[in-house]
Amino acid sequence: MGHPRNSINSRLRITSAQLPYICRGCMRRLQLHGGQPLRVNAQPRTIRALHITSITPEQIIPFRKQVKDEAKERKSKGKLNANRFNGKASDDRLKNWELTVGIEIHAELNTGRKLFSSAATSSGDVPNTHVALFDVAFPGSQPQFQKETLIPALRAALALQCDIQRKSSFDRKHYFYQDQPNGYQITQYYEPFAKGGRITLYDHDGIAPEDGKSVTIGIKQIQMEQDTAKTIQYPPSTHLLDFNRVSHPLIEIITLPHIHHPSTAAACVRKIQQILKSVNAVVTGMELGGLRADVNVSVRRKDKSDANSGRSYAGVTGLGQRTEIKNLSSFKAVEDAISAERDRQISVLEAGGVIEGETRGWSLGSTETRRLRGKEGEIDYRYMPDPDLGPVIIGEVRSFNWFLDFYLLILLQTLIEHLHKRLPLLPDDLVNLLTDPKKYNISLKDAKTLVALDDGERLEFYFEVCNELNLNFSKEGEENISVRLNKAACNWVLHELGGLLTTSGLPWDEQPIDIKTIASIVWNVDQKRITGTAAKQVLATKFEGDKRAVDQIVEEEDLLLRPLSDEQYLIMAEELVTENPAMVKAIKDKGQKGKIMWFVGQMMRKGGDGRVEAGRAEQMLKKVLDIP
Amino acid sequence: MSLLRAAESCISKQRSYKALNAFINLSDKHAVLRQAEHADTDTIAARPLHGRLIGIKDNICTSDLPTTSASGILKNFTSPYDATVVKILRHAGAIVAGKTNMDEFGMGSHSVHSYFGPVAFARDQKNEASQEQLSAGGSSGGSAVAVATGQCWAALGTDTGGSVRLPAAYTGIVGFKPSYGLVSRWGVIAYANSLDTVGVLAQDATIAQEIFDEINEYDDKDPTSLPKSTRARISETSVQRSDRVSALRIGVPLEYNIHELQPDIRRAWSHLLRRLRENGHSIQPVSLPTTKQALSAYYVLAPAEASSNLAKYDGVRYGSRASGPDGADGVLFSKTRGEGFGDEVKRRILLGAYTLSAGAIDNYFIQAQKVRRLVQEDFDRTFSLPNPLKENEVSSQCQNSGVDVLLSPSAPTRPPLLKSLEDQSPLDAYMNDVFTVPASLAGLPAVSVPIKVVDHIAPFGFQIIGQYGDDSLVLQVAQLLESL
Repeated sequence: MGHPRNSINSRLRITSAQLPYICRGCMRRLQLHGGQPLRVNAQPRTIRALHITSITPEQIIPFRKQVKDEAKERKSKGKLNANRFNGKASDDRLKNWELTVGIEIHAELNTGRKLFSSAATSSGDVPNTHVALFDVAFPGSQPQFQKETLIPALRAALALQCDIQRKSSFDRKHYFYQDQPNGYQITQYYEPFAKGGRITLYDHDGIAPEDGKSVTIGIKQIQMEQDTAKTIQYPPSTHLLDFNRVSHPLIEIITLPHIHHPSTAAACVRKIQQILKSVNAVVTGMELGGLRADVNVSVRRKDKSDANSGRSYAGVTGLGQRTEIKNLSSFKAVEDAISAERDRQISVLEAGGVIEGETRGWSLGSTETRRLRGKEGEIDYRYMPDPDLGPVIIGEVRSFNWFLDFYLLILLQTLIEHLHKRLPLLPDDLVNLLTDPKKYNISLKDAKTLVALDDGERLEFYFEVCNELNLNFSKEGEENISVRLNKAACNWVLHELGGLLTTSGLPWDEQPIDIKTIASIVWNVDQKRITGTAAKQVLATKFEGDKRAVDQIVEEEDLLLRPLSDEQYLIMAEELVTENPAMVKAIKDKGQKGKIMWFVGQMMRKGGDGRVEAGRAEQMLKKVLDIP
Repeated sequence: MSLLRAAESCISKQRSYKALNAFINLSDKHAVLRQAEHADTDTIAARPLHGRLIGIKDNICTSDLPTTSASGILKNFTSPYDATVVKILRHAGAIVAGKTNMDEFGMGSHSVHSYFGPVAFARDQKNEASQEQLSAGGSSGGSAVAVATGQCWAALGTDTGGSVRLPAAYTGIVGFKPSYGLVSRWGVIAYANSLDTVGVLAQDATIAQEIFDEINEYDDKDPTSLPKSTRARISETSVQRSDRVSALRIGVPLEYNIHELQPDIRRAWSHLLRRLRENGHSIQPVSLPTTKQALSAYYVLAPAEASSNLAKYDGVRYGSRASGPDGADGVLFSKTRGEGFGDEVKRRILLGAYTLSAGAIDNYFIQAQKVRRLVQEDFDRTFSLPNPLKENEVSSQCQNSGVDVLLSPSAPTRPPLLKSLEDQSPLDAYMNDVFTVPASLAGLPAVSVPIKVVDHIAPFGFQIIGQYGDDSLVLQVAQLLESL
């Protein structure tokens, strides 16, 4: 890091460059010292430290890779370690101790501009191309609050059932770090814009069995704040700074300490991410670093013998001394870090020790949290109301009077109502809709999967398939045809198409199947024009890139189900029975009626190209074997 | 005199008064003369600022000259943009004379805390010997000396707690601090944002008015710029009350008659009041009870904001940077900041960091904000005009009992000798702001005017304070005092 004045000026002027800009001074210094020349097109290690300081920030790892790595780690350590948190000894101890957890979630808002300048938000653009004077704290520059950034923040707050505050304000949180140009972060410490929300988690959200069918977690407040710059490390000692991300608007969601199980904590973060995505408040989730969690963990004895000496937080009393684990970047990390920290605290307390109020860290795949800094290392952030930024007023403005309220944001109350009405369905509502036997009638498991997949795009696709089916085919007059088609379509969108995606490794947004194809396949199967086996073949053919329409493929590949005559069924059944006397014996003498299905299978194979219908084959076999 | 002749005169004085150290950087001489010559031939332009040399305090950003704030940490810094006020002045045809010396980041009352050396003042060239050199006042001492010695036609300064008015009083010129929020702060390097105000230093109140008329403009780049609607309401009021100047109700704040006030200044004050009464104006004693706490509150609030505003100077993106790694001695940026800042700046950063710290904020920062509110209420009780920012509040004062303006000395003493400052503690320097700080805390317009009350005594600065937004009356009264 560190560029003389000239370089930052020239960097600010870069509009289109192929390579990330690197200050010439830095290049020269590095070469002078005999270091390796910088390879600018090498994949830099990207570091994410949302708002925190003096912590070695975790590296961003794609979620899938992380799961793999963790599995590898467990394997290498043996099964003993892997079962550590679920061991029997641990179970016994948990009978005497209660865990309490509160979570702080930081999420990057989905906005076009930065929080305090008209520079565009971006990700992955050429470094230092979206930077306004205030973003890099040039002397004499001032913040210009972009009120549009409130919209996604308000949507998030409404979805989390918060009370929107009529008046909120911005404060400065001071600490020095090279990724923070002003030497302070602008946040909402004294007066956040939303307070008093809640989120309900159900058993199917993956909460701990001890929490029963559902548990409601209070949300203390949501505040808006600035993101920091991105640090790109070139070991051993060079840090490059990309200010594109600096001052990207974030919200911080702070829950009450209402959580008592690690899996419930993970479920809470997962569900908050789902909700934020469903209301279009955020662009990316944890897997891409758009969301981060800090957790506050404490334990107390269940017999409450030490209740009098307990601590309290936001009205929750009798708590044990808490520690904070910073910067968790996956749901699994949330769960594992809390388990590990709970076990550590219980061990310390049972050995007669004392828990220090400290900040701790967690590395992927590890089994223990590690100490980052103690109380003596706590930063005094010296929160101060920002003197340049007046309060944000949301609500009706009765008259133009204000005193030292330099900045008045006028947003009519009707805006809030408007946003509320237009809020898309939340994940819970979607799942209810999908499992409704009168509408889609799909299983809870499938419903949740559909909602969670591909940022909701899979669900969108599914709804469009259903729409197509209903438009074209529901006039047939059959009572439940719509629900039946919807249910069948889910199988094709989720499982059959899903299987092809998994095998091919293609991401969702590159898959070649269109809505009409699925709808046509579902309809053909439903009407018994083709068998399921043939339908899978059609889908696979289309997936390979075949341009022909479904009906054309069915016709040209001779897949149309031409029902066999009863005589043909009879001939096949008699042949099979004659060829397999042992099976016949097992069925007739030993009463192993299940073996009939073996014959059905054989018949279907014999028929070829999926022309044998299982039901009719079974009927005919029973007739030949003379069993009811 | 032609504009070219005037410019030549300024440039020649810049040479002869070089020892006073009024400028940190001067504009290119030839470019200045070319612009002045061009202005003479430009017949269309009739605006008062056209072709005039204006000095710019060095904490106001210019893209063609360095902007250092008189700090080592910005000693080589050139801003990539012009401050809004500079843009306006250029647009009005004014010529930037150069960047004037000051106390580092505006922190000081004598303009001696500068990386580029102290500013000195002497009333004429024969007194320039260092033994006789006086304090120019601070922090806009360079701007004041440059105007007082004819090195430029007028100058911009900034006033946070008196930084325009005190140097004007010490150097015998007019120093005007407008109402907070009227003049854009975009491009003005922050010392204490909630107090910082761009001000004007000029030979007389008419010139100050001419410059103010140009820079008094809404700016959407400055989030604290007063909205157009409020400006419109304010100017309506002042048109309605334009008859006030003929028979003013002048308030004399009793709390300003302090023990430390120099006897001859006290005598001059009463002399001046007598003469005003003779001219048909009425004099009313008024009480501003929170005055005693105002100075302490100011020296809590201003350093608190300063400690925050100066956190950006880490040498990473611009400015000076110490050699070696940034975290070399265990504290990030401490070497760069330790080398870059002067002692007074360090003192105020420490003071501010302390008053904002978790253990002290309630007793210092919060208390000081309460005092600030009381100071504002003191003033609102005193003036006949209601505060336009609180229009809808039921105004308790009876309009007939209120005053139009307040009149007091600008400072308790005449300018001290520069060499006497060496023995002073920082607290002694802070004392000079006792009369100027209250108006800053309340964001009110205030002007210091040099008045020669008795023939054989050198003129001294008197301060006129008006209600918020009553800037034009304050300047009219200044002209009235000049004509007495």
